[in-house]
Amino acid sequence: MMWFFLLSDAFTFGAFLISYGTKRYFSTVWPDPNHVFHSFPFFPADAQLPLLFVSLMTFILILSSVTMVLAVHAGHYNDRKGVIKWLLWTVIGGIAFLGCQAWEWTHLGMANGGLMGAFEDPNTPVSHLQHFFAPGVNLAAQPAEALQATNNFFNFFFGITGFHGFHVLTGVCFLVVILINAVNGTYERRGHYEMVEKVGLYWHFVDLVWVFVFTCFYLL
Amino acid sequence: MLNPHTDTAQTLYEGDQSKLYSGIMAHHDPAGLQGDASRKQVSRIWKITALLAVVTILEVALGLYGHYQGLNVGIRNFFFILMTLVKAFYIVKVFMHLGDEFKNFVTLVLMPLIFFVWFIIAFLADGSFWLHMNKTDPTRFGSHPSSQTTPANSPKPEPTQSPAFR
Repeated sequence: MMWFFLLSDAFTFGAFLISYGTKRYFSTVWPDPNHVFHSFPFFPADAQLPLLFVSLMTFILILSSVTMVLAVHAGHYNDRKGVIKWLLWTVIGGIAFLGCQAWEWTHLGMANGGLMGAFEDPNTPVSHLQHFFAPGVNLAAQPAEALQATNNFFNFFFGITGFHGFHVLTGVCFLVVILINAVNGTYERRGHYEMVEKVGLYWHFVDLVWVFVFTCFYLL
Repeated sequence: MLNPHTDTAQTLYEGDQSKLYSGIMAHHDPAGLQGDASRKQVSRIWKITALLAVVTILEVALGLYGHYQGLNVGIRNFFFILMTLVKAFYIVKVFMHLGDEFKNFVTLVLMPLIFFVWFIIAFLADGSFWLHMNKTDPTRFGSHPSSQTTPANSPKPEPTQSPAFR
């Protein structure tokens, strides 16, 4: 059943990302991700480091997916110690990813006057939005479009990364549950680690979705 | 003793259709994790890891190159989407073990995804058509944000390009 749940979830995420694309095609101007996401922790707020932080997040999630598949592999051989070790690394990876996302969200909010900040307020002067766009884009000629595009961009960004982050959070909860069961020897008594395989599927799916979110929001 | 892989109602039903529930994927190699089959599988996992890392680095490199040096957006996006699909393919095939599943099950899971082809084409075309109408159709100027300050009945500037749909 996990595969069919993931299929339905794929359609949910797909619908979100496609509606993001529709809004983007609908707009004359659109924020440039290289100018929106340019910060890195412990660097000055105005440092221009596009793609760097999100690559770090992507690597953390891919590596946690690898440790997950190694846990599943250990489970195939009924190796309890291996399952526990690799699950622990996966949980750490998941929490690290959530920490990165928390930093990115709060930083983006704080740098723009709160989480419901400049990009949500209809009274924001258009000059305050200019730094989200590529330098050549003339926003003064089309202030309403600029505001609407910025609103749409951030609504979709917070909505979709939030929905994905919630999947990561529930994934971490599932991982902790099967980790406790593995430590207690529940699966050893049961004779198989099928539950690890199922939660592993969910965890890989979360990584899979991130591959597409990464492309849609940070690259394209 | 009850065999969990063969003696439950769930397994009897689902085990026929997916290896995930049938226990076929579980190995009973006496050599265990140190055996050849296991080592081969682990080395395959690390190879795929390296591939995913390299593709991600290529994506970031292409993104940075496009940002600083400038690059045709169409070509850039084509490679971004191609590399995304490569990563998705290997995650699903190797990490999610779909490559080891029964053929019928793989088809059953992947077939519905064909809908996405239609969704993407239809919705993106819809978005660009709306933009096209807002830019060119005089009856729609009033609803377009840029003309909110313009009185509804004032004469509209002629669109620079004549709309093809009229």
